[in-house]
This record gives sequence, C-alpha cells and structure tokens, in this order.
Amino acid sequence: MVEKKIFRIVFIFTLVGVIGWLALIFIAPFLRSLDIPANSFIYAIFSPICHQNPSRCFYLFGYPLAVCTRCLGIYFGFFLGTLIFPVVNGFKSKRAPKNLIFFIFTVPIVIDTLGNMFHLWQTSDWLRYVIGFIWGTLLPYYFIVGISEFIKEWVIHRKV
Amino acid sequence: MEEQKTNMFIPALIGGGIAGVLSGIPIMNCLCCLWIIGGGIAAVFFLNKESPRPLTMGDGAVVGIFSGLVATAADFLVSIPLAPITNKFIANLMERFAQYADEMPSGWETWLDKGAAETHISLVLLGVLINAVVFSVLGALGGIIGVSLFKKDKMKQGEKDVIDVSKDSTTVKDADNNQS
Repeated sequence: MVEKKIFRIVFIFTLVGVIGWLALIFIAPFLRSLDIPANSFIYAIFSPICHQNPSRCFYLFGYPLAVCTRCLGIYFGFFLGTLIFPVVNGFKSKRAPKNLIFFIFTVPIVIDTLGNMFHLWQTSDWLRYVIGFIWGTLLPYYFIVGISEFIKEWVIHRKV
Repeated sequence: MEEQKTNMFIPALIGGGIAGVLSGIPIMNCLCCLWIIGGGIAAVFFLNKESPRPLTMGDGAVVGIFSGLVATAADFLVSIPLAPITNKFIANLMERFAQYADEMPSGWETWLDKGAAETHISLVLLGVLINAVVFSVLGALGGIIGVSLFKKDKMKQGEKDVIDVSKDSTTVKDADNNQS
C-alpha cells in the first residue's frame, strides 16, 4: 500500500517537474522577445546541459528555444512517457525495461549523435527531435520506478 | 550503510569526474545531458564491479546523485581555465545567432564584453547550485539505468555467493524480493 502511494507521489512530482521544465524552455524566448532580463537566467539554467547552438534550435517569437531540437525531443518524449506511464505500467511493475528495449530505443540517438559529432553527416532538426523524442519516452520507466525504489530503500526503510 | 556509502564514493568520483570534465569542454558538450547520464551509468558500472551484493535501483540512484554532484564540481573547475575559450565559442555562437534571429536585443554585443568580469559571485553560486540539482537528477537517472543494465550478470554471480545477512538484512530482503 505504501509502495503504491510512493509510486503515485513520484509520478505526480515527475509529471509536474517535466511540465515546469518544458514551460521554462518556451518562456525563455518569450521573455527575450520582450527584452525582459530574466530570459538570460533561464537560458543560463539550460546552458550546462545543452550546447544551445542557435542553428540547432527551434524558434519562437524570433528567438531560439532554451534547448536544441534533440534535447527538446528528449524532454517532450519524457513528458509523453510520463503521461502514459499509469496506462503502461499501472503502478504495478517495479522492474525497469529490459536491456533489449533500452538498446532499441538508444541505438538511434547514439548513432545520430556520434555521426553529427564527427561530421559524418548532418541530421535535420526535425529528425533530431524525433530521435530524441523516441529515447525520451523510455526514460520515465527508469526514473519513476528507480526513484520510488530509492525512497523506499533509503528513506522509509532506513527510518524503520 | 556507512561502508556502502564509502564504497560508492570512488565510482561516483570516476563517473562524475569524467562526465563533468567532458560536459565542461565547449566542443565536447554537443552531447548535452547525455554526458551526465553516461557518468551515472559509468559510476554504477564501477560500483557493480566492486559490490559484493547485487545492486538495487536505490543504490543506483544514490551513486548517480553523488556522480552528479562530482560532475557539478568538475564542470565548474574545468570552466574556470577554459573561460577564454568558452567566451570565444559563445561569441561565435552569438554571431551565428545574429544570422538566425530576426532581431537582437539591444546592447547584446556589449553584453558579451562585460562577460565574466561583471558576473556577481552570488549569481555564480546560484548557477552552481542549480547545476548541482539538475546534474543530480540526471545522474540519478543514469545510475538507475546503469543498475538495470548491469544487474543481470551480478544476479547470476550473486546467486552463487553467500551474502552476509547480518550486515544488511533489509537490503538483502529487498534483493531477494526483486529476484523473485
């Protein structure tokens, strides 16, 4: 009973967190278009985890989003994966996806990223987005399950 | 538990250190958040090699959080000597940005010149703090993925090994539950 409750709480926090995260990505160019200084702060939040190359970003209000297309795809994929988590998992399975599934979802993003990194080819923005999206949909099935287990093992069980 | 935490330190240091350094280098950071997630996975890989018992997802999350914190420190330390290169890199980006954006905010050229010199220490600390939170979450995700990836082999080995129940009965119970 407690486990299911933890599961649900982690799910809600993850969903709210990813919605907030996505909102920031879109708020940044909006604030920049209004010349509100806070835009720099939001761009700065994302700068350590994204190259923010303007040629690799989607644009809104004439300014690039706070992350590149691949990262945006990952976050939107994460959002969709979280949204359908209760349907797919039903808050029952405490197991992460099988390794084969992980490799199927991960191989495209690894190949595409390495190919672009070594200038073997240049993928279009939309393809980068789709590849990131595919990978992102898988991540909540690790994150929600893992964080629930973490809270159960390291917080609740240690207190007892 | 203390022993377990100590054991986690070295793998987290290696995984987080590598991830933090690579994510701090301007050209290498094109892999975005993947470095930090990869650092968490690497930390679990090293921990898994040393651990006498099968790792749980909670262990993966903890070592991932540690590796995220180490990555934050490494990223910050790397960014100091690389600041001139990074500024040049950002300047190039801004030039490209100017080509793509319809309008640039007023005074954006001088904004670059002001650069790090006028960055207030409190803003730097706030940046490090935010980095620490974001990197910890990504590191935890990497750690959980790592446990899922490397657990299987360890389980087989774990079945052969006799686990000292008296050391940590709670975790062993959990491991048994997961196996069943």
